[in-house]
Amino acid sequence: MGNKRINNLFLNLFVGWCIALFSISSVQSQEVGGGTLYGDMLTVTQDMLDRAASDSNNFLHTNGNYKQTRYYPARQINVGNVDRLQRAWTFETEVVESLETTPIIVNGVMYVTTSFNHVYALNAETGQEIWHYKHDMGPITTYCCGPNNRGVFPYGDKVYMGTLDAKLVALDAKTGRLAWATQIADPELGYSETMAPTAVDGKILIGTNGGEYGIRGFVKAYDADTGKELWTFHTTAENSVGVWATKDATGRDMLRDIRAEKAALKKLGDPYKTLGGGVWQNMAIDRETNTVYFVAGNPSPDLYGAIRPGDNLYTNSLVAVDLSTGKYKCHFQYIAHDVWDLDAVSPPILTTVVDDRGNEVKGVLHAGKTGYVYVHRAKDCSLIRFSEPMVVQENRWVLPTPEGERMLPGANGGVEWSPMAIDPNLGLAYAINLHQPMTYHVEATPYPGGKLWLGGAFKVIAEEQQWGNITAVDYNTGKIKWKVKTEQPMIGGILATGGGLVFTGEGNGWFRAFDSKTGELLWQYKANAGVNAPPASYNVGGNQYIVVGAGGNVQLDYKRGNEIIAFKLGR
Amino acid sequence: MIGRLLNFILFVTFAGATITLADTNTGDEYAPVADLLKSCQVCHGDQGASTEQQYPILAGQEFYYLYVQLKDFKSGLRANPIMDPVVSALDKDQMQLIAKYFSEQVWPDTEYASDDQVTRSAITVITAGQCIACHLGKFDGDSRVPRLAGQHPEYLAKTMLDFKSKSRQNSPAKGSLLASFADQELINVAQYLSSL
Ligand code: HEC
Repeated sequence: MGNKRINNLFLNLFVGWCIALFSISSVQSQEVGGGTLYGDMLTVTQDMLDRAASDSNNFLHTNGNYKQTRYYPARQINVGNVDRLQRAWTFETEVVESLETTPIIVNGVMYVTTSFNHVYALNAETGQEIWHYKHDMGPITTYCCGPNNRGVFPYGDKVYMGTLDAKLVALDAKTGRLAWATQIADPELGYSETMAPTAVDGKILIGTNGGEYGIRGFVKAYDADTGKELWTFHTTAENSVGVWATKDATGRDMLRDIRAEKAALKKLGDPYKTLGGGVWQNMAIDRETNTVYFVAGNPSPDLYGAIRPGDNLYTNSLVAVDLSTGKYKCHFQYIAHDVWDLDAVSPPILTTVVDDRGNEVKGVLHAGKTGYVYVHRAKDCSLIRFSEPMVVQENRWVLPTPEGERMLPGANGGVEWSPMAIDPNLGLAYAINLHQPMTYHVEATPYPGGKLWLGGAFKVIAEEQQWGNITAVDYNTGKIKWKVKTEQPMIGGILATGGGLVFTGEGNGWFRAFDSKTGELLWQYKANAGVNAPPASYNVGGNQYIVVGAGGNVQLDYKRGNEIIAFKLGR
Repeated sequence: MIGRLLNFILFVTFAGATITLADTNTGDEYAPVADLLKSCQVCHGDQGASTEQQYPILAGQEFYYLYVQLKDFKSGLRANPIMDPVVSALDKDQMQLIAKYFSEQVWPDTEYASDDQVTRSAITVITAGQCIACHLGKFDGDSRVPRLAGQHPEYLAKTMLDFKSKSRQNSPAKGSLLASFADQELINVAQYLSSL
């Protein structure tokens, strides 16, 4: 596909473009007026956060809004003019290492983070640095898959960040000065933070990494003013045994040896204390029902299941808890007693879905590492449907052996942590995929006390070809609407906009815009490093911007860099 | 090796005589372990910048990694006939102080090279094992993950083969992974890493 096709497309879209122009001017005046439409602009109020889904000036949540739709309503940049999108500015951070930050924009000020927990406040119009905060990292950090950070959350007059040494820090948004820091858990035992927190109703919510280290996973709520812990929900239940499920959410037999597991349970007891279940992506929040939805990750050790008999609740599950108390509401487990690390990571999305009887209900979407989009009823977490597989499925579920068994998806999943986006008008969910053939090896391994605990090994089959996809799934039917193949496995994230576009980046440095209806490539830009971070959008000075980090990715070894790049329409 | 060990034993035997000297000489935060540090340097070189292949470079290594190794030598998780007697009498504070001292020294320039064929073989292994996900792109380490770049190839190969044979057991995930590669592949990886 070359420029010619793109040109043709624009001829076809010329009429639409003219119409768009008219609507833009009205949108603009509305957007520009007094900066943001909501709030006093000096602090981030609860009201602003609640209205983020319709705010075309700011980008306040890692995933756009509390529903985590990553659907940005502005349409100044749209299918009709995106070919005029140009780089507006580049900011180079001090750290050349994986960038997974979602830029947060509050009234013309942008906050970005880097690997090893640097935070920058930038002028969102020019890219000029306002302040730079370097976290004073403790000597002990334990993380898997890179010293990543996915961004700050702005709330009141502060911005909040989780750190690799498992702290929650609150910074003064104006100066970057540390207001307080609180230790969330012990890094020596494998706890670390890479996710952006989520703030709501005076609380800061945050989970933990550590599913590869035998942690006990959780979501915690802290007081936004003082850093005092308010509640903890443990993702590994004290009775983690469950119902001895034999099939996964898609109905495939997982080949569990239930008899052996039951014998092991008698001997070893419930394994919940070192069972993993990390939560390292943001939660969706239903403000009407006061419910927090998140996904809990893999059980520890990843590959060796004999030592952790039972379903290992609530690992590999969608979980809902009460926002005020942290009390359990409902859950749905995708893979009981997982031995492949094909867990639940990509952040859940709340939206209206059509259920199996044709009724519109409040739903939750999640893209599993299995490579399916799962559609749930928000009410009770139950599964309505799962999509067609977005990636090649082979040999699922073969049990890992000492010599290694080949299976697809590989252990980085059909979808990694990368957040999806949806276009609620089209009823489409956009996911980015990986095709990475791997072998799964098991080895009996006792708990190693805070050290990497895989219970075996995952190996990439170096001779086999790898690739990625961008896939649009109709969540009301489960059918794949369109799919675009990419040169490399995809990791980072995606943004959908009111302009009829989706934006996503690739490991080879291409940052691209597609027609969200058809998957047609409409625009592209080549960055100096892998574009493996979720894009964001905002409006300042009458211009809509798209912004993304280009820092590559350590887990897939995509070229590292240090650039935050903002784009706006040229003439 | 035997010679070194003898020197070490002699050193330890006469260490008592040198204590006063060391104390007055350093007078810094490392004074409590000054003699111990000297004993280490018999094998590991000045400031831990070892110049002999069988003794790993400690200078500039990650603090937490070093501390964990000392703990693991002592507990037997990483059994090693040379290091075992060295650490047997160390307590936690001493270990941390020693680890801190070496982590603050400068990693020496080693000038190892790796030819194309070795490099290709090594990169295949590194890709398959997803080594970079933990060791980072430059293999320069972080906290509990050791620096490997520029380390002596003979030591790197030995320790990887020890992981493979399970005589080094203090990182079980490493044992599982390295067991799936041929000895020669690991030797190639050692050569390549030393050249970085
Ligand atoms: C007699 C020689 C000798 C002396 C003395 C000695 N070491 Fe060692 N050290 C070795 C050898 C050989 C190894 C490699 C062991 C192996 O192959 O596992 C080693 C390994 C280590 C390691 C592991 C390094 C790595 O990269 O994993 C540490 C840490 C260490 N020594 C610290 C010390 C300290 C601290 C002292 C002094 C208190 C000391 N050593 C004294 C010979 C010595």
